[in-house]
Amino acid sequence: MEDFKVTLKQQIIDSLNLQGMKPEEIDDNAPLFGEGLGLDSIDSLELMVLLERNYGIKIEDAREGRKVLTSVQSMADYIQQNRKI
Amino acid sequence: MNRVMYIKAATCISPQHSYDAEMFLAPPVSSDTGRLYVLDQDYRKYISPVAIRRMSRLLKMSITAGMQCLADANVQPDAIITGTGRGSVSDMEHFLHDMIEFKEEALNPTYFIQSTYNSVNGWLALQTKCTSYNQTYVHRGLSLELALLDAQLTLSEVDGTQNVLVGGFDEMTDYYHFVKNKVGYWKQEQINSLELLKHNDTTGTIGGEGSSFFVLSNDNDNDNATTAITAIQTLHKPTVEELQTAVLSLLTKNGLTANDIDVLLSGMNGNSGFKAFNDAMANMLPGSAIAAFKHLCGDFDTATGFGLWLANYMIAKQTLPELAIIKQGTSKAIKHILLFNQTIAGDASLMLLEQSL
Repeated sequence: MEDFKVTLKQQIIDSLNLQGMKPEEIDDNAPLFGEGLGLDSIDSLELMVLLERNYGIKIEDAREGRKVLTSVQSMADYIQQNRKI
Repeated sequence: MNRVMYIKAATCISPQHSYDAEMFLAPPVSSDTGRLYVLDQDYRKYISPVAIRRMSRLLKMSITAGMQCLADANVQPDAIITGTGRGSVSDMEHFLHDMIEFKEEALNPTYFIQSTYNSVNGWLALQTKCTSYNQTYVHRGLSLELALLDAQLTLSEVDGTQNVLVGGFDEMTDYYHFVKNKVGYWKQEQINSLELLKHNDTTGTIGGEGSSFFVLSNDNDNDNATTAITAIQTLHKPTVEELQTAVLSLLTKNGLTANDIDVLLSGMNGNSGFKAFNDAMANMLPGSAIAAFKHLCGDFDTATGFGLWLANYMIAKQTLPELAIIKQGTSKAIKHILLFNQTIAGDASLMLLEQSL
């Protein structure tokens, strides 16, 4: 799980072009939006694309999406349980 | 109706050191690769770290040029009007590539959002909180000219002083350069860009890119504008005779003769197909100095922006940069410049500039 979270963090960095940031600088439980990484609504769409392209996960319920994209930990948990590729 | 537009500020990000006008051509930049690239600046000055990570080069250089121009003029724009021949080509290429690779599913929103032609205007409006008139003209090689014509109409119809931000921007991607090479846009022989105009016995030119912005006003209230644009004219694929007639008509309408034009600033691009037009222009203005600019910025749809920036520079500094001179003229002072450009497709534009101080 720990290795997977590092991989996921690197994918988030690449997908959102977070220049100069390293996986170890992202806290597993820090909020992705608002405080923490400070991402915005376009980033949330980019993260949905990341989930679909890399793990075959399509989230169509906005409320569920909000829960999944709370933190790296919540994303990792959801991916482990629902990944199709 | 007053159709004179005063240039209150001009900013140009180009393949030359033009962002800081004091550094212009010191040293000159050249290339042997058949294309010239914009010299990137520190774009973080006007764009937040969150926003900049999503932006293409075109967006970054255009927003920076636009914001710097407004800062130099120290005004809030009353309108934002721009022209671009191709818009954000790199974002569009990314988006189209992803559509094919991911079979039209799971497409990144960022590339799509920012591939639209008016994304630069949108960003500038957000940055400046300018909610008034906002327009982007996309008409290939005459895009900037049409934006300038719109600015001229806008400024001539309002009461009181208004300031319009006008810009032109285009980027050259590897793929675009490759595709246009197949249809003969570029020179096949390897040449140094600074030698481009000596190679006018073969077809083709060199590619370029850039972003130029101008704050234009209908009133030189503070006497801080050194240059005024007094006339703009576009011509659809003119013959040599039609071009000559248009030049004579433009001069007459503005109360000038050929002897009044101190400098003919030409967008000659080394293409042998345009030699007759450039020769005709030179013959019509025998006493004028002749200068050129596409060997400095390359050819692209809104290259006239670099030409307009250079014309403003020449009048403000009262100097002709040595590297731009094709022929010396009889006049020492630079009071009137005729900016002439031809697009690769053969359309033409004429702009009359006048010293306003």
